[in-house]
Amino acid sequence: MHVEFLGIPRERAGVSEVELDAATLGDVLAVLPARFPGLRELMPAGALHSSVAASLNGDLFVSDPGTPLAPADRLILLSADAGG
Amino acid sequence: MAFGYHGRYLRVDVSSGEAGPVPLRDDLLRQYIGGSGLGTRLLMDEGGAAAHPLSAEAPIVFAFSPLVGTPLTTSAKFAVVCRSPLTERINDALAGSGFAIAAKSCGCDAIVIVGCAPQLSVLVIDDGAVRLEPAEDLHGDACSLVEAKLRAKLGTQYRIAAIGPAGERCVRYATISHDSRHAGRGGTGAVLGSKNIKAVAVRGTRQCEWADARELTQLSRDLSARSFGPATAKYRELGTATNLLTLNRFGALPTRNFQRGTFERAASFAPAELSARYPRVRASCVACTIGCQHVYELDHAAVRVEYESLFALGSLCGVADPAAVLRASSLCDELGIDTISTGGTIAFAMECVERGLLDQRWLTFGSGDAVLKAIDLIGRREGLGDLLADGSRRAAMAIGQGSMAFAPQVKGLEIPGYDPRALQTMALGFAVGARGADHNRSGAYEVDFSDKVDRRHATLDSVRHAIETEDRAALMDSLILCKFLRGVFTDFYDESAAMLRAVTGWDVTAGELRDTARRIIAAKRDFNIRAGWTPQEDILPERFLDTPLPGDPAAVLTADALQELVTEYHRQRGWAAGE
Repeated sequence: MHVEFLGIPRERAGVSEVELDAATLGDVLAVLPARFPGLRELMPAGALHSSVAASLNGDLFVSDPGTPLAPADRLILLSADAGG
Repeated sequence: MAFGYHGRYLRVDVSSGEAGPVPLRDDLLRQYIGGSGLGTRLLMDEGGAAAHPLSAEAPIVFAFSPLVGTPLTTSAKFAVVCRSPLTERINDALAGSGFAIAAKSCGCDAIVIVGCAPQLSVLVIDDGAVRLEPAEDLHGDACSLVEAKLRAKLGTQYRIAAIGPAGERCVRYATISHDSRHAGRGGTGAVLGSKNIKAVAVRGTRQCEWADARELTQLSRDLSARSFGPATAKYRELGTATNLLTLNRFGALPTRNFQRGTFERAASFAPAELSARYPRVRASCVACTIGCQHVYELDHAAVRVEYESLFALGSLCGVADPAAVLRASSLCDELGIDTISTGGTIAFAMECVERGLLDQRWLTFGSGDAVLKAIDLIGRREGLGDLLADGSRRAAMAIGQGSMAFAPQVKGLEIPGYDPRALQTMALGFAVGARGADHNRSGAYEVDFSDKVDRRHATLDSVRHAIETEDRAALMDSLILCKFLRGVFTDFYDESAAMLRAVTGWDVTAGELRDTARRIIAAKRDFNIRAGWTPQEDILPERFLDTPLPGDPAAVLTADALQELVTEYHRQRGWAAGE
């Protein structure tokens, strides 16, 4: 599956997207901080910090670590306060 | 009298030069706090709903708050409240920085200006003593130049709120500028200009006492510490401009007058590209620990960049040239006009040209030169600029031929950078907004970017979320605290109550502040009803209804669905239809 980064998550990851093996949102949140230490603050204890939002394929937003992911899915991680 | 207040406002009639204090009751202050809330109440009491917005009788209110002057981060803000010449409804526009502290130090909780000076003048308030000085030498000067000249003339202790040339010419979306920030929306600058007031200059020495200074200091330290965390990192590190690529990714970036939700060349003027091309520095308002202002150097000038300016003068007009977008933003700042309404009105005119409804062939989507020329004409109210200076709704009324269907406005206020078909909780927020389509009085886009709703399929459950963001904004705008702090609070109402207790000594609770927020929203609606509001105004333009956003078949909002949301909103507010 693909993970796209926007806003602060992109700043912290240093890349715009990455490919991962993950079956759930929780898997993504466990793997990413290990690969990109800058993301640790945004994903404490395997959950999303309130300043970060996650969208599945640009449609629904998800936050439950148990959310299943398919290999073709694109998860978008972005700064939650998208306005201003 | 409560701590944190002076217990009076300063009323100035610039026709006669007469000025004096007017007492403010404790119970009224507690009910409306300050900023937008207090300003709305004073505007109503001063007869603002009945007066033509650009008449001498029309009041304009500069309102402060009990938190102004405290060590609480982001509290150096003021609200300018008036009847909008653009919408003829309530208008409250906020700006930050030292003017708020200096004006409150003049010994008042608000300044109400009525009348019309016999010549272009500067209203000088020196520690509460009021005088008018001729300002013919400032005629036509840009906002920043006015500030610089007046501080050189009057002294560096003065803080200045000024209008640019557009305000003098009563462009209906002219701003009041201070320290490079603007009380931007709804035409506050036109109201001040109609009174022949080029600037308000203030300095003072009168401090308010706080009920529990020790507790306030502790709360301030704690809030400042949290303001350095991840909840504000976006504003600090990237600025609001980073929203550009986010909105584009979600198909919600208004493009070519809302004809699409994505702009194929958005990356060309996104922050990464701007930073690669132009030197960038950060700046902040007085008493702010966030530092959200990202300022780029272009042609030896400093250009402050915000998302709303980038979208309005960039994608909305189909312009991808970063230099043109920055120059356009800078020109708006110097003329003193709202970038959202400027871009929205120009984009509307571009579509009229594209459809053959307006014979101005130079005004085409994608032309940065055309945008710059149009802004210049608007600032001078020359030629086509005279029509566009009245905003997209009045322009559509003049052009006719069905153009109102795609004039990008609600109640006359141009729509900010969130396509309402792709963000449908925001669509409701726009439709019911007291001052028109507004992202600062309704933060409903936050709900759309969460797992609380399906952003492209609003339901009746979306309504309570929209109300919650509107209530929170009303309280933040009345306290006043910057909304960029909103993510740092664990319980916003509870923490706000603690701050107010420490400042004022009131036994205020979170529950009381929830009631206060609703009271302020209701006061704005009451003002609008007195000013002629009808239920038919709580609607979006035809363009946004019943047909999908091009390129996103799922992003469709039917007129019936929006009407259901609006009706439910009124019901949950406790307002009968048409009441």
